[in-house]
Amino acid sequence: MTDQLQSKGFSRRGFLGFAGAAAALPLLAACSGGGGGSSGGKGGIIKFWNMPWASPAFNVKDKQITLAYKPPKGLGAATYQIVQWATFTQTFGSAIASNTGPAVSSGGGLQAFQYAAQGKIAYADNLIATFKKDGTYDDFVDGAWDAMKTDKGYAAVPYAYDMRVMYYRKSLIEKNNITLPTTWDEWLAVAKDLKKVGMYAYGVGGGAGNNVGVQSLISLMINNGGGVFDADKKFNPVTDKNIEAMDFVRELISAGAVDPSSVTYTPDNVYAQWKANKFVIGFWSPGLSVNTGLSDIEVMPPLKSRSGESGALYFPNNLMMYKETPSQEGSEAFLSYYVKNMHQLWDSQVFSSVPVLKSIVNSEPFKKNKDGLGAAKYYLPVAKTLASPGGQAVFPAIATMDGTAPSLAFGQVMLAGKTDSKKALQDWKTAVESA
Amino acid sequence: MTVTEERATGSAGGGLRRARRGVGNAGSGPGPAGRRPHARRGGLTFLFLALPSVILVLLLTAYPLVYAAYQSLHQGTLISDGPFVGFKNYANQLSSAAFWHAAGFTLLFTVVGVFGSWIVGLVFALVLKARLPASGVFKVLLLLPWVVPVVVTATAWNWLVATPQSPLPVLAKALGFGDVLFLADPTLAIILVCLFKVWVSFPFMMMMSSSALAAVDTNVYEAARVDGANRWQTFRHISMPIIARSTYISWILMTIFCVNDFPTIFLLTGGGPANATMSLVVMAYTTTFQSFQPGPGVAIAFMMTLVLVVISTVLYRQIRKVDIE
Repeated sequence: MTDQLQSKGFSRRGFLGFAGAAAALPLLAACSGGGGGSSGGKGGIIKFWNMPWASPAFNVKDKQITLAYKPPKGLGAATYQIVQWATFTQTFGSAIASNTGPAVSSGGGLQAFQYAAQGKIAYADNLIATFKKDGTYDDFVDGAWDAMKTDKGYAAVPYAYDMRVMYYRKSLIEKNNITLPTTWDEWLAVAKDLKKVGMYAYGVGGGAGNNVGVQSLISLMINNGGGVFDADKKFNPVTDKNIEAMDFVRELISAGAVDPSSVTYTPDNVYAQWKANKFVIGFWSPGLSVNTGLSDIEVMPPLKSRSGESGALYFPNNLMMYKETPSQEGSEAFLSYYVKNMHQLWDSQVFSSVPVLKSIVNSEPFKKNKDGLGAAKYYLPVAKTLASPGGQAVFPAIATMDGTAPSLAFGQVMLAGKTDSKKALQDWKTAVESA
Repeated sequence: MTVTEERATGSAGGGLRRARRGVGNAGSGPGPAGRRPHARRGGLTFLFLALPSVILVLLLTAYPLVYAAYQSLHQGTLISDGPFVGFKNYANQLSSAAFWHAAGFTLLFTVVGVFGSWIVGLVFALVLKARLPASGVFKVLLLLPWVVPVVVTATAWNWLVATPQSPLPVLAKALGFGDVLFLADPTLAIILVCLFKVWVSFPFMMMMSSSALAAVDTNVYEAARVDGANRWQTFRHISMPIIARSTYISWILMTIFCVNDFPTIFLLTGGGPANATMSLVVMAYTTTFQSFQPGPGVAIAFMMTLVLVVISTVLYRQIRKVDIE
């Protein structure tokens, strides 16, 4: 694809580059003090773009870490930019297409793999070799690198895990004399009890800007030993285990476990329902206690499914390097520094996600992060990626399903409880394939 | 004889008469048969001077449009053009049930948005035409839905209806309607989104109608009253024809606003539940930026543009008709 683009006489990038260069020439000439510019060569500035992974305090701390970077002699310093989630695909897409993007960034969980397939990513194999020499490699939790592996190399460096974990309101469970469920059938019984007092045992949301609804369903499929991508990396959700899992969801809905309005709940609506004592058990990512401000929210250990298995969905968020960099050596030096210093994000309690470094998971400050600790303790050993059950390494084709309109619609249809499970799964498959 | 009639009939003396009235006819007629050389040089100078602006306009408007057309004929990604696929993206969309569902909702949303907001706006404009105390304050208050950013108003409406503990569901339950799922029920979600559009748009229509009504000579109403016309007859046969031009213009603008309205739907429902409120513009966005398929996404946007051009042309013809009458 890249070759095709390069063979064109007149491309958008070429045109934008020409126009930009023409426009910038007088300005650069005026600014130049006669010496060499800082954007070219080995010592160019390393642009680091990161996402608002948590509250604004996260990015404040993250910027401090970035700007504290002291590059080795001859390499450039780093700059910091926040990219908002609302428009991140546009921001990265247009910047990378016009060669004005970052040298290092985080981003969507699949971003590195999508851009790697389009020849834009600098593989991390060389950096990993240095990590192996200095011992950093062994500090990563088991399986962390497996999810980053592609046919051509490691597309990214693991950063943090976002998981779909189950939470419960401890005070409400105790108040209603409920025993915490350990299996799906116990969960169903609890749902019936909670319904009698006007509370919900499957608190979730699937509205605008909220993918947790459909992700909780996929998490339950994985919990039951299923998943949505087969060993050939094909989207194949119509399996016996998935049908069994979705049939169970229909039972939960019939038992009154799901708030009927939840199909259109935004994240704020979900937080409001937790705070209104309506959601007692439900799905969210690590950080719900911070988002809601509720002190009695606890992570619930994963339940044994009807097939007797445990499991949950997780997203291996990562840090990637781009080919378009002033210096690959500079990108690697910065990323190495960042990985070795990112513990400060957890030390200062501004990041709720599950760390990928064992040293952070076992650190004293992390033990105060009850959401992250619960997720790491209970879910990390059993969590699987969207590539399940076919594999664990993520790949670009997952993007055809994750967060797309057909998947959101599937989540809403299922949570509304008005469709047969097999038909809903089949319709989902058809919609994703036709899109 | 009006200027339009003179042009339509090709009246020979029209130019002279316009000249006497001080009305020019710049650039609309053939030039003098024997132009002098310095006039031709002047034209060239004008062209030369205008060239930078023309190039700038072409760069700002034509280039993105041409590039978008190019993208719609390719199967690319957000950062590369991809292989040429001809009109396959268009054909795929036109044979997709999801596309036609979104087109149907867009049509409904637009029709309700345009005519609903026009009727409400016109009623308020007529009410405010009467000399009411503190009418200025009312006008400002009525303008608020249009003035406040849609992000704020959509969030406010979401707060009003989203959860069973929100004010409107509580009120509906108290009135004996049971648990009303304003956003979760597909039919109610469609009604709510359309109502929101009417609410957020009527101030614009009110201002358009108010300014048109203000231009009507009060003597005309006086004459109609003397002739025995009642209020409806005065409105139907005097006000409406006089404000027709402004009405058609407001319809054109509101049609464009409705068809291209992304934030209302995206913020309120995200196109759900189960795609019930999925409009073409939201579909174009999600296809391009969530499914990472700019080819089909831009194809949807192009088809929307085509339909808008047709609708605008039809309504402009109506405006010309009004001018002639």
